[in-house]
Amino acid sequence: MALGELERDVMDRLWGAGRPLTVREVHEQLAAHRKIAYTTVMTVLDRLAKKAVVRQEREGRAFRYSPVASREQMVADLMLDALGGVEAVDTRQAALVHFVGGVSPAEAAALREALDALSHPTAGGETTPA
Amino acid sequence: MTAFWFAALAVLLAGPAPAALARARWAWRVPRAALVLWQSVALAAVLATLGAGLSSLTLLFTEQPGLPFLARHGFAQTTLIGLGTAFVAVVTVRFWAVAALVAVRTRRRRRHHREMVDLLHRRDAAGAVDRALLGEAGARVLRVLTGPARVAYCVPGVGGNRVVISDAVLRELSPEEVGAVLAHEQAHLRARHDLVLEAFTVLHAAFPRVVSSRAALDTVRLLVEMLADDAARRRTGALPLARALVQLASAPGQGAGGPGELRVGADAVTRVRRLAEDRCGPQERRAPHRGLAAAAYAAAAGVLGVPTLAIAVPWISSSWRALAG
Repeated sequence: MALGELERDVMDRLWGAGRPLTVREVHEQLAAHRKIAYTTVMTVLDRLAKKAVVRQEREGRAFRYSPVASREQMVADLMLDALGGVEAVDTRQAALVHFVGGVSPAEAAALREALDALSHPTAGGETTPA
Repeated sequence: MTAFWFAALAVLLAGPAPAALARARWAWRVPRAALVLWQSVALAAVLATLGAGLSSLTLLFTEQPGLPFLARHGFAQTTLIGLGTAFVAVVTVRFWAVAALVAVRTRRRRRHHREMVDLLHRRDAAGAVDRALLGEAGARVLRVLTGPARVAYCVPGVGGNRVVISDAVLRELSPEEVGAVLAHEQAHLRARHDLVLEAFTVLHAAFPRVVSSRAALDTVRLLVEMLADDAARRRTGALPLARALVQLASAPGQGAGGPGELRVGADAVTRVRRLAEDRCGPQERRAPHRGLAAAAYAAAAGVLGVPTLAIAVPWISSSWRALAG
């Protein structure tokens, strides 16, 4: 199984859990559907932590992992960066090549609004980043 | 005198030449040749700028040796040599520093996008995309995001190409239109258009605003899009491509005040018009286009070759004689 797919799968478990999970818990969930080594799950969670998409917190002798943001928020963040996050002339603009440039200010604003709506009511669900 | 000619050439190549090229409509008919000409003009401008500075340094070799520096060259020449040295140093250091900055920031942003689209990819949503059109390689790099905005872009990079499209695009566009978008992005990736864009981004960021590299960057970007449009048109036809352009470039309806008017980016209008014009009479276009392309390639060679033969070679050989004799 490709590493990318495994990472997506692990993220889905963490998003679905609604609380921080240990490596063992993630492994148990994944192992119910397929043969997978405990150390593989550990490696994947470590990689995700390095990419700063999951937060690692120590609890006793075990580490617990949780996503730093909801899936929707991550998508909105990424789209905002792709569309309006960079000024028309910027040293980073050659990074992505768009099908058609010049997104309207309205669309960028709508996107920002969607992002705001997503990022504000975080009081219930997620803890704020440390 | 050499310094003067180089400086005059640099001014010509940095100002009027790009301004004229940016206005040239013929370039739209032969985007590939026009891009080559743009790169050649840009390279010649940089070389002429460096040549103007460097040539003042050759004064060092032309006077009789044995005297103290200032006495040998006189005040005016010493000043000129000093200014020339400083100029070359500043231009060179600034150019490479900006190039490094752009390279690092560009690659960092790409890596971030690559990691995130891999993570947020929705496999089930990608099922609707036409596999036949994508091909094996296309399916491997395709990433579908499910979110609020309509995005379609590619993340270039050796071994790390991604074509990113949002499910909103898949929903709103017909399969042929989606195919045109994907063909367009794959053309960008195959031809490494990002390298051309990166080079002109560096030029724009490294040189002061008075130099018209903004027009250069904008025009080069448009030409690159036209090249990818041509590749997409060959695969899906002009109509789906044009429809996709109009739909993705226009702003969505504005709130409660009824459907907002169709707002399309200037580049998108240009590209759609170009697609519409080129649809009629493909036979009669062929011959003049080939001549036009040949002329552009010849101009590209001339822009680099003529100054080299007329200014650089005499200068280097006379400096060499002065140094050796």
